[in-house]
Order: sequence, then structure tokens, then C-alpha cells
Amino acid sequence: MAVSADDTTAVRPTPSAVTVPARPGGRWKSWCAVAVVVLITAITLSPQWGIDFSLVAIARNWQNGTDKILLLLVPDWGFFPRTVPALAETLQMAVIATAVAAAVSLPLSLATARLTNPNAITRGIARTVLNVVRSIPDLLYAAILVAMVGVGALPGIIALLLFNVGIIVKMVSESIEANDPGALEAGRAAGGTQLQINRSAALPDILPSFVNQTLYVLELNVRASSVLGLVGAGGLGLLIDAVRTFYRYDQLSLIIVEILIIVMALDVLSNAVRRRLV
Amino acid sequence: MVVEHTSTPIAPSPWSVSMRDVSVRYASGVVALKNVSLDIEPGEMVSVVGLSGSGKSSLIRTINGLVPLTSGSLHVGGFQLETARAGELRRLRGHIGMIFQGFNLAKRTSVLNNVLVGRLAHTTTLRTLLGAYRASDRQIAFEALERVGILPKVWDRASSLSGGQQQRVAIARALCQQPRLVLADEPVASLDPPTAHEVMGDLRRINQELGITVITNLHLIDLARRYGTRIIGLRAGEVVFDGAVEAATDEVFAEIYGRSVASEDALGL
Repeated sequence: MAVSADDTTAVRPTPSAVTVPARPGGRWKSWCAVAVVVLITAITLSPQWGIDFSLVAIARNWQNGTDKILLLLVPDWGFFPRTVPALAETLQMAVIATAVAAAVSLPLSLATARLTNPNAITRGIARTVLNVVRSIPDLLYAAILVAMVGVGALPGIIALLLFNVGIIVKMVSESIEANDPGALEAGRAAGGTQLQINRSAALPDILPSFVNQTLYVLELNVRASSVLGLVGAGGLGLLIDAVRTFYRYDQLSLIIVEILIIVMALDVLSNAVRRRLV
Repeated sequence: MVVEHTSTPIAPSPWSVSMRDVSVRYASGVVALKNVSLDIEPGEMVSVVGLSGSGKSSLIRTINGLVPLTSGSLHVGGFQLETARAGELRRLRGHIGMIFQGFNLAKRTSVLNNVLVGRLAHTTTLRTLLGAYRASDRQIAFEALERVGILPKVWDRASSLSGGQQQRVAIARALCQQPRLVLADEPVASLDPPTAHEVMGDLRRINQELGITVITNLHLIDLARRYGTRIIGLRAGEVVFDGAVEAATDEVFAEIYGRSVASEDALGL
């Protein structure tokens, strides 16, 4: 489009001619929020009401720590054959829990999102149950389940499963709400039932987020399943508990290295999958 | 790929629409339609015009039950919408194709899967869940894609297509329903002018070659005149004009829009 000389001068007024609209109020709200956070931090740090901790302890005891750190720096590589069965068990627990959790989470995610489940009653029930499931820590699940079904991998798997379902459903159902509802409206306009609409119109769009979360919980599970053993729920944790009891920090160090390698490998794997997916 | 036409191209008896004193009030208190009475004959090609907020979208969504009517009576095909239950509404919608301004495709899946959404009302839930559509349904989908000239893209991802191609896929999805009525809500508002004419031409061919009743919401005057045989003007939820294209002069449009007609009200080209 041709722009005449008059037009160019018209869109560039002298600074004095510009009337800026009044800035909207309400900026004090963000300052209030900052003040509240500072206040809460101050209260938790104060000696009267806050938790009891002191940095002096670090200064006093740091020498106790150095010799353990030195031990950790020299892993006992000869310990490796004994870690293999526990390591395999940890991986098996992580994979089984992730697979079952993924299968359970997909329909539950659809049931807890408003777009894919317009029925307020069933959605409310599903959300409440999942909030309860999510609010209980995995270690607590493991401790209770060990008491119920005995020591071993099974209570660990069930604990991980519950922990995973809470995470996947929360994240995936949030991604459903963020998606464009257009395809769902088209499915409804074509006379589909909600289940049909969810399968044919919603599922393709949430699949990347679902796979993403599933890969993420697989990584979480490798780390979590090594801790669950501390309460008797199988895997590397049982071994960690044993070597820790005998102050074998060199052996503990090897276990940490092993977990590190697996978590890094999973990260590479999940990145590769993600690239192909999105 | 060779697609043989097995199904008859002529729609099984197109539907009429009959509205009597239909009003729609949303939960927010907004009154979208006020005492609208209309009769649309089978096989008509109607343009519904009006400014945004005039009730065009509500009118079209009332016809397939996406928006419930607050009062009045609405007869579409053999269905009485003010008393229809959920299952009846689904069967009604199964016969009505709908085309949207934003195409409304599932972008991460194939063109074919999107078109097969048009078969939902004729497919069992189990088949849908397994993604196991009948061969005859796939055949209908292929033919629908061929009719809008986009069959070569059948295996592509919907998101990889241009806007005009996506709207064609959406039209194929509607055709895949073997509809007796097609509703189009601002179908070309997101498209460039040449593509807009192609898509409007597709809608006209659906009406002329298949005999399907087509109701299209438009806000551009020249498109409404060129592609419709009848124009219904809405203003603030009320019908202010209903007549043949020839009778819809610039003065009539000025009345519908509540202001004099300007060059922005036409697509041009």
C-alpha cells in the first residue's frame, strides 16, 4: 500500500502531542504478595515460632563430614556384582509401576478434565479420589503396604503405582484443559458420544503430553524405588539400608553412581522419544 | 489410489428447518435469539448475515442442538428439538454436518482420522475405541475427500495442511456424515480471499450436486449474495430481513448492520 508523505507525519506525532492513557491501578497487589511471602519467611526463621535449626551445627561438625565425603569419592567397584540383582529389581519395579500407572491414568485423566468429562458429579468424584491419592507420600504408601503385604518388590510396585497415577493424571488433565476445544466440538456436532469424542478428537492431541509425563515418572520411579527399599519395599533401597548401617560409604557411593547413570540414560532416551513425538 | 463410487452421490432426502418463536438465553443472561421464526425448505442454500454478536452462531448451533433453546419450538428433519433427549440429539447431529470458522480438526492425527469423526454417529463405541472403522466407512471418507479434491493428503497430519486445505478436510468430515443438512459457521473468515472463494464454491457444489440443504453464516455481503439463494439478516438476535438474494439491496444490508455499508463489508475479488 502506498503511504503518502502526509501519512508518515501523521503517525509520528511530536512527543508532547502523545496522550498516554492512565495506567490502571492495582499494582499494590503484587507488592502485598511480596510482603506476605517475606513475612512468612521471617516468621519461620524466628526463634519463637519457627523451626529449630542452626547453621552453627555445620561449623561445629564439618570435620565429621569430610572423612565420609572422602569415602564417597572412592567407590568400591568390587561391590558391583552384589548390586546387580538389586539394581535389576529396582528397574523392574520402575518399569512395571510406570506401565500399569500409564494404563490406569489415561482414562482417569479424561475423567477429571472438564472438556472431556462435562458431568460435574463423576468429575468431582474422580478429582476428590485423586487428590487423596496424591496427598499421601510414596514412602508412606510403601511403609503401610509393607505392613499389609509383606517385605518385597510388590509393596514397592503398588506404592509407585499410586504415586505415579497422582502425578500423570494431574499433569495430563491440566494439558487437556489447555488444549483447543474445537476438535471436541466438531465430534459433538457429528453426533458422537463423549467416549467416542474423547477417543477420536481428544486423545490425539493429549498423546504427547501423556507420553511425556509417563517418561518423567519412569525417571522418578528409578530414584523413588531406591528409597522405598529403606522401609522394606524391595530394590536398591534394601541394599542402601544395609551398607549404610555398616558405614560402607565406598559401597554406597557405587550405588549412587549406578542410579546416576541410569537416570542420565533415561533422560537421553526420553529426550529422543520426545523429539520424535512433538 | 483409485476410489470407486459405491454410495449414491445424491443425499437421502435433504432436511427442512422450521423455527417458531425460538428464543435463546444463555446462563450469563445474554439473550442471543429473540422470537425467531423461520422456515428453510429442503435443498435451499441460505446465507445468514449480521454483525458479530447478532446471534448468527447461536442460530446455527440451536439447529443441531449444541445450544438449547429457552422457548419456542424447533423442528429439524423428523426431530422436535425442544423435547429431544440426549440420545435423540446425537442421532439428529449424526445427520447434520457442521463446518467451523477455526476448522476444528484434531491437529495431531491424520486427515483420514479427522474425516472418520464424521462416522461417529454410525459407529459403535467399541469400534471407535479400537480405531477399527468399517471398510465401508473408510470408503465413504475417501469419497468425501475426493469430492473436495484433497484425497492425496489423506495420510498427512492435519496440522501440516494450509488453512484452506484444513477447511476442505473439515468439509469432507461433514460430507462423511452423508448429511441431510450442512451448517457452516463463518467458514471462510480465517482464509485468504482466493481460498475463501474456493471453499464457498465447495459448499455451493454440495448444495447443487448433492441437493443437501446448506445454511451458512457470513458477515461479508458479496459472499452472501454470490453463494446464497436466500438471505436471512439478523440484528441483535432478531430476524430483520428474510428474502431472496435479489431483494437484499445495499439499503437492506445497511438496515441489518445498523450502519451504512462500507467496502470492508465485502471480500472483493
